[in-house]
Amino acid sequence: MMVGKKKTFIYILLVIWSIINLFPIYFMFTFSLKGNDEIFGANIIGLPQHWLWSNYESAVKTGNMARYFFNSLLVTVVSIGISIIAAMMATYALTRIKWRLSKLATAFFMLGLTIPLQASIVPVYVVLSKLHWLNKYSTLIVPYSAFTLSMSILICTGFMVDIPYDLDEAARIDGCSLYGTFFKIIMPLMKPALSTVGIYAYLQCWNEFMFANVFISDSKHRTLPVGIKELSGAYTTDWGPIGAALVIATFPTLIAYVFLSRKIQDSFIAGAVKG
Amino acid sequence: MERDKSVKNQKTKKEFQKGLAVFLFLLPGLLLFVSILIAPIAVSLYRSLFDWDGFSEGTFIGLANYGELFTNGSIKFMISLKNSLILALFSVFIQLPIALLLALILGRKPKGERFYLTVFFMPVLISTVVIGQLWLKIYNPDYGLLNRFLDAVRLGDWKHVWVGDVKTALGSIIVPTIWQYIGYHMLLMYAGVKGVSPDLREAAMIDGATKWQTDRFIVIPIIKPIIRVSVIFAVTGSLKSYDLVRILTDGGPYQLTEVPSTLLENMMFLRNRYGMGSTISVMLIALCFAFALLISAAFKEKDN
Amino acid sequence: MEKKRLVSMLLAGVMTLSLVGCGDTAAPAETGDNGGAEATEAGADAGAADASAADAGAASEGPISLKMWCIATESDSNRHSYEAAIEDMKTAYPDITFEWEAFENQSYKTKIKAAVSANEMPDIFFTWSCAFLGDFVAADKVYCLDEAYEKYKSELPEVMLGNSTYDGKHYGVPLTMNIVGLFANMDLLKEAGYEEIPGTYDEFIKCCDALKAKKIIPFGCAGKETWCVTEYLESVIEKSAGADTLNDIFLGKATWNNPDVGSAVDTFQKLVKDGYFDPSGVGLTNDEVKNNFIAGKYAFYMNGTWNCADFANNAEFFPKVKVGEFPVINSDKSKLGQLIGGPSDTLAVSASSPNAARAADYAFELGKLICHYGYLDGCGLPAWTPYGDTSAVNPLTQTVAEIVANADSMVLFGDTAMAADDANTYLSYVDQVYGCQVDGTQFIEGLAKDIR
Repeated sequence: MMVGKKKTFIYILLVIWSIINLFPIYFMFTFSLKGNDEIFGANIIGLPQHWLWSNYESAVKTGNMARYFFNSLLVTVVSIGISIIAAMMATYALTRIKWRLSKLATAFFMLGLTIPLQASIVPVYVVLSKLHWLNKYSTLIVPYSAFTLSMSILICTGFMVDIPYDLDEAARIDGCSLYGTFFKIIMPLMKPALSTVGIYAYLQCWNEFMFANVFISDSKHRTLPVGIKELSGAYTTDWGPIGAALVIATFPTLIAYVFLSRKIQDSFIAGAVKG
Repeated sequence: MERDKSVKNQKTKKEFQKGLAVFLFLLPGLLLFVSILIAPIAVSLYRSLFDWDGFSEGTFIGLANYGELFTNGSIKFMISLKNSLILALFSVFIQLPIALLLALILGRKPKGERFYLTVFFMPVLISTVVIGQLWLKIYNPDYGLLNRFLDAVRLGDWKHVWVGDVKTALGSIIVPTIWQYIGYHMLLMYAGVKGVSPDLREAAMIDGATKWQTDRFIVIPIIKPIIRVSVIFAVTGSLKSYDLVRILTDGGPYQLTEVPSTLLENMMFLRNRYGMGSTISVMLIALCFAFALLISAAFKEKDN
Repeated sequence: MEKKRLVSMLLAGVMTLSLVGCGDTAAPAETGDNGGAEATEAGADAGAADASAADAGAASEGPISLKMWCIATESDSNRHSYEAAIEDMKTAYPDITFEWEAFENQSYKTKIKAAVSANEMPDIFFTWSCAFLGDFVAADKVYCLDEAYEKYKSELPEVMLGNSTYDGKHYGVPLTMNIVGLFANMDLLKEAGYEEIPGTYDEFIKCCDALKAKKIIPFGCAGKETWCVTEYLESVIEKSAGADTLNDIFLGKATWNNPDVGSAVDTFQKLVKDGYFDPSGVGLTNDEVKNNFIAGKYAFYMNGTWNCADFANNAEFFPKVKVGEFPVINSDKSKLGQLIGGPSDTLAVSASSPNAARAADYAFELGKLICHYGYLDGCGLPAWTPYGDTSAVNPLTQTVAEIVANADSMVLFGDTAMAADDANTYLSYVDQVYGCQVDGTQFIEGLAKDIR
C-alpha cells in the first residue's frame, strides 16, 4: 500500500516535470501560427483557430531563417570536426606518449573549461580583422573550435585511457611509428568518442551569440541566434513571425533529437562517465 | 665504448623523434588554444592597466581601473558579482538537487524511463536566444502567459511586470536558466547512477535498506566525482551567464540585474572603455579559476 | 500650392534657428543664419538637385565598389527612404557598386565600435552626431568632408553641420533632424474634458489627474530602453532650469551639481510617484510602448518626432493624434520654444576607405536623397534644403516644423551630446531616477562625482 502510494507520487512528479518541459515548446508552436488578435485575445494557449502559415513566410522571407539555419549548421559541423581532430591528436600526445611535462600540458588545456569567451572577443576581433578574416564562415569556425577544444580533450582522454596500452606496444613491435599507431590503431578505436564529443561541442557552438554578432556583419554569413535577435527586434509587437522563427530554429534539431535520442543520450552519458 | 656511444646516440635520436611527434600532435590544438584563448587573456591583462577607448592612444594608469570598479557609482560591478553569485547559489542548491532527484528516480527504471529522459533533455538542445525570446513572451506584462494565467485563476494581485520589477527581475532570469540546464545535469548524474553496479544495490536492499537509503548511502557517494563536475560547471556557468540576461532584462531595471559579462560588453562597446572592459574580464577569469579550485578543494576536504 | 509654400516658409524658419552646437564648435551656429534662409528659396525649385547629382556622377574615374552600414532595418521607419535613395543613386552612379547592410540599433553600436578599433570600417557608415562620431574623429578614423562639402554649400546649410563639426572641420552628412514631441491621443483627452493639449504646467497636471480619474493612464514610457526615459526627463529639466543651463551641463561646461536640476528631477519623479506612468512600462521596449499608445492605452507619449511617420501610416489612429510642446514649468528660467533635439542621424566616411574622396561625394548625394525621402515619409525634418513637391508631407510633421520654426533654442539629446562613457553614466542615473532609487539631490551629486 505504502509502496503503491510512493510510486504514484513519483509518476505524478515525472509527469508534471514533463509538462513543464514540453509546454513552452507547445506554446511556441501554437503562437507561431496565430495572429496577434488570437494571442492577445481569448485564445492564448489553445490550438490556432486560423492556421496562419504566412507567419512562416515572413520569417523565411524577411527573416531569412532558412539561410541562417544553414549557416549555423555549417559552422557548427565544421567547428566540431576541427575540434575533434585537434583534440584527438592532442589527447594522443598527452596520454599515450610518455614525456615529462604531459601532466602540466593537460592542466594547461583544462584551463579552457573555465575561461569565459567574452574575455577574448576584442583581442580576437582585432587579430582577425588585421588578417582580413572577417565575414567568412571560418571567422566563427576557428574560435568555436578553440573554445570547444578543452571539453573535447577531456572527453577524448576518458575514451583513450580505456584503450589498452598493449595495443600500442604490439603495434610498435610490429614496426609502426608513433604516427602509424595513431592513425591505424587509435583513430579507428576512437569512433565511439565522436558522437560524444560532437554533442558537447554542439551545445557550445549552436547557442553562441556574442562572437557571431560582432564578427559577422554581412547577412550572408549570419547565424541563427543573431538572425533571431534581429528578427525579434524587427517584429517586437508582432508575435507570430517571431514564433515562426523560433520554431524554425528549434524544431529541426528537436525532431532529429527525438529520432536519435537513444544514441544521443548514450553518447552524452559516455561523456559523463569517461570525463 | 663504441657501442655505448651508438646506443646513446640512438637514444637521443629516439628522444628527439618522440619530442617531434609530441610537438606535431599537439600543434593544431595548441595553435587554436593559444591564439584564441591564451594570447587574448595576456592582452587583456596588459590592457587592463590602461585608460583606453579602443581606438586612440591609451594612457597607462596602473591599477586605477581595478580601484574604480568598486568606487564608481555607475559601474555596478559589486551588484553584478552579487547577481552571479545568487545565480550560482540557486544553481547549486535548487537546480542540482532537482537534477539529482530526477536522475535517482529515473535510475530506478520507472515505466517510460526513456521517454522522460528524452523530454527532460529537450530544453538543453534549444538555443539560449530562442529560450530567451520564448520566456519574454511568457513574461510580457500585458499579453504574457504568466500574467494571463494569474488573471485566469483569480490571483491578479500576484501579477508583476516580471522582467521590469525590482523584486522579480532577477528571479525571472534565474527561472529559465535553471529550467534549461536541469536536463543537462540530470543526464550527467543519470550516467553515474546507471554506472552503479546492481549487485551493490541488491546487497544493500538485502541488508534492509530502503530505496532512499540505498540512494543516499550507496549511490550518491559513488557518483560524487560527477556531482563535483556538475557543481563546477554550474558555478562557472553562472559567473559566465550572458545570453539570457541580455535578452530578458538587458541588465535592467536600473542595472540591478547586470552580470559581469553584460557589464564587460557595455564597457567595451557602449562606453568606449576598453581598458575597463579588460579589467572586468581579468576579474572574471580570476573568479572562475578561484571558484573551480575552491570547489575541487571542498570536495577533497570532504573525502578526507 | 498654398500648402507647399507654407511648408517651405516654415522650413526657412528652421534654417534660421541658431542650433546649439556640439562640444568644441561654436562658430558654425552663427554663419548659418542668413545663408540658410536664402538657400531655402533657391532650393524650392525642383530639379536643381537632380541636375547636380548627374554632374557629380559624370565626374567619376572608373568603377569602384562602396560599402555602407546603417541601422535602417526592415522595421525601421527610415527603411523606405534608404531604399528609395539607394535606388536613385544606382541610376546616377552606374559605375559604383554599392553594397549596404542594416543592423539592429544596439548590435550596431557594438559592431561599429569593434570595427573602428580594428580599422575594418565600411566606406560609409551611419553614426549619431556629436560625441558618438566625435570619439571616432578624435582617433583619426573619419575622413574630413570639408572639400566635398564645398559643392553642397547651397543645398545644405552649414548650421546643420554643427553637431558633426570638430575643431572647425566637418565630418558628417546630416540626414534628418528631430525633436522630442509631446504626442497626445485626443480621443482620450476629450474623455477627460480637454479639447487641446494643455498649455500650462498646472493645467497639464490637472489634465493628468482628470485622465487618471477616468482610469486612463497619462504616460507610456519604455523603461527597458533608458533613452525613452530621457525624452521625458530632459524636457522636464529644460522647462524647469532652462535650455542654456542644461546645454552647458551636457557639454561639460557646467557641473551637474545644480540645485535647479535637482528639483527638476524631483518634479519628474513626482510624476512617476503620482502614478502618471504606466507601471508595465518598465518591462517594455519602445516599440511595445508605442504600440500601446496607438492602441489607445495612454493619453500622452513623449518621444522623437520621427514617430510621425508611423502614426501617419496608421489610417485609423492618425486622426486622433496631435503633437505639441511640453509646457513650461518654471517661467523664470525657461520659456516655450526651448526644445530638445537637433540633427543627429548622420552619415560619415571612414578615413581608411581606399576611395574616400569619391565615397564622400557619394555620401553627400545619398544623404540628400535619404533626407528628401525621409522628409516626405514624415521621418523628421530635413537637414537639407527641401526640393520638389513637399505638399504630401503629413500634417503632424508640418506641426513639428511649425514648433521648430518658433523655437528659441535647442538642446541636443543628452546621450548624443555626451561622450559614450559619460552618456552611459548619465543613462544609468536616469534609470535609477525612473525607478525611484535615487532622488534629485543624489542624482546631481552622483553625476557630478562619477562623470569624468
